[in-house]
Amino acid sequence: MRATNDTVSSRIEIARAELTPIQFATGLLFAAAIAFVLVFLQEPLAHDAMHNFRHAAGITCH
Amino acid sequence: MIVDYLQRGILAGVVAGLAYGMYMAFVANPLSEYLHDTQHEHGHDEHGHDDHGHGHGHGEHVHEHAEHAVSETTTALVSIGSGALWAIFLGGLFALALYVLEPALPGPDGIKTYVLAGAGFISVSVTPWLVLPPAAPGAEQLYSIESRLAIYVALIALGAVVSAASIAAYRRTATRHPAIGVAAGAVPIAAMLAVVPSITPTVVTHPELSSALVSAYRALAVLSQAAIWVLLAGTFNWLQRRADPATAVDGSHETLTTKQ
Repeated sequence: MRATNDTVSSRIEIARAELTPIQFATGLLFAAAIAFVLVFLQEPLAHDAMHNFRHAAGITCH
Repeated sequence: MIVDYLQRGILAGVVAGLAYGMYMAFVANPLSEYLHDTQHEHGHDEHGHDDHGHGHGHGEHVHEHAEHAVSETTTALVSIGSGALWAIFLGGLFALALYVLEPALPGPDGIKTYVLAGAGFISVSVTPWLVLPPAAPGAEQLYSIESRLAIYVALIALGAVVSAASIAAYRRTATRHPAIGVAAGAVPIAAMLAVVPSITPTVVTHPELSSALVSAYRALAVLSQAAIWVLLAGTFNWLQRRADPATAVDGSHETLTTKQ
């Protein structure tokens, strides 16, 4: 593969070749876990504790 | 290779997270608490410290005076931690996006990261803020949390589309002259900045704060988020150069081919 053939799809192919299915599954599982934690952070206690950060960062979910 | 990228992205996130954590500790925390306290001092009785709105007759308004579930110290510490983790989270996403999108980004290698960081800033921060600007403590919101979250997600998608359109416009026209490319690339962003605020209602108001104070608060939010992205891109570049000094000048494509 020459440098000029470096495209978005070739990057995805490289990642597929590099990562084993187990690594890929681990990544997906971890992403799912993070998404779950983000939902959990809507709980009032965690939500209130992040009060200053949410305002300072301009994140809307408050 | 994707693992190397992720590693650099997380490290860059740690650097940006430390800086943003310091900002939270020394600027944002005291400022938020100050704003919160001033409004409580001359707060009126109808601003009860509960979630059930207030007696203004506008049932749909959501009022922001309900953060006494935890102490101020806890809030300060958790806010610092959240700030640091936020930057690390962005760093990881940035690295994964850079790995996939790097071939499609314009400019030499040291610039590509900044282009992507700019696109990230526009998508994650600027576009949502056009409708839902950063709210200081004590803000009154027109919509409920659910609809605001939906608007937020939709605007992130819009921001990503506009960023992509801007980069595509640059790539198409920059072959003639880079300056023309930059001008063409600026058009989609300028159009969005002009159109979106003018067609959407004002959904956040601060009845108890002066407008200058609110503007300053918003400017701090904008600048601090922009600083996170600049730090991410800059640190990522530095780590990449350090890991691979030979390819720093003319791109990482060689690394890519030799590792095949």
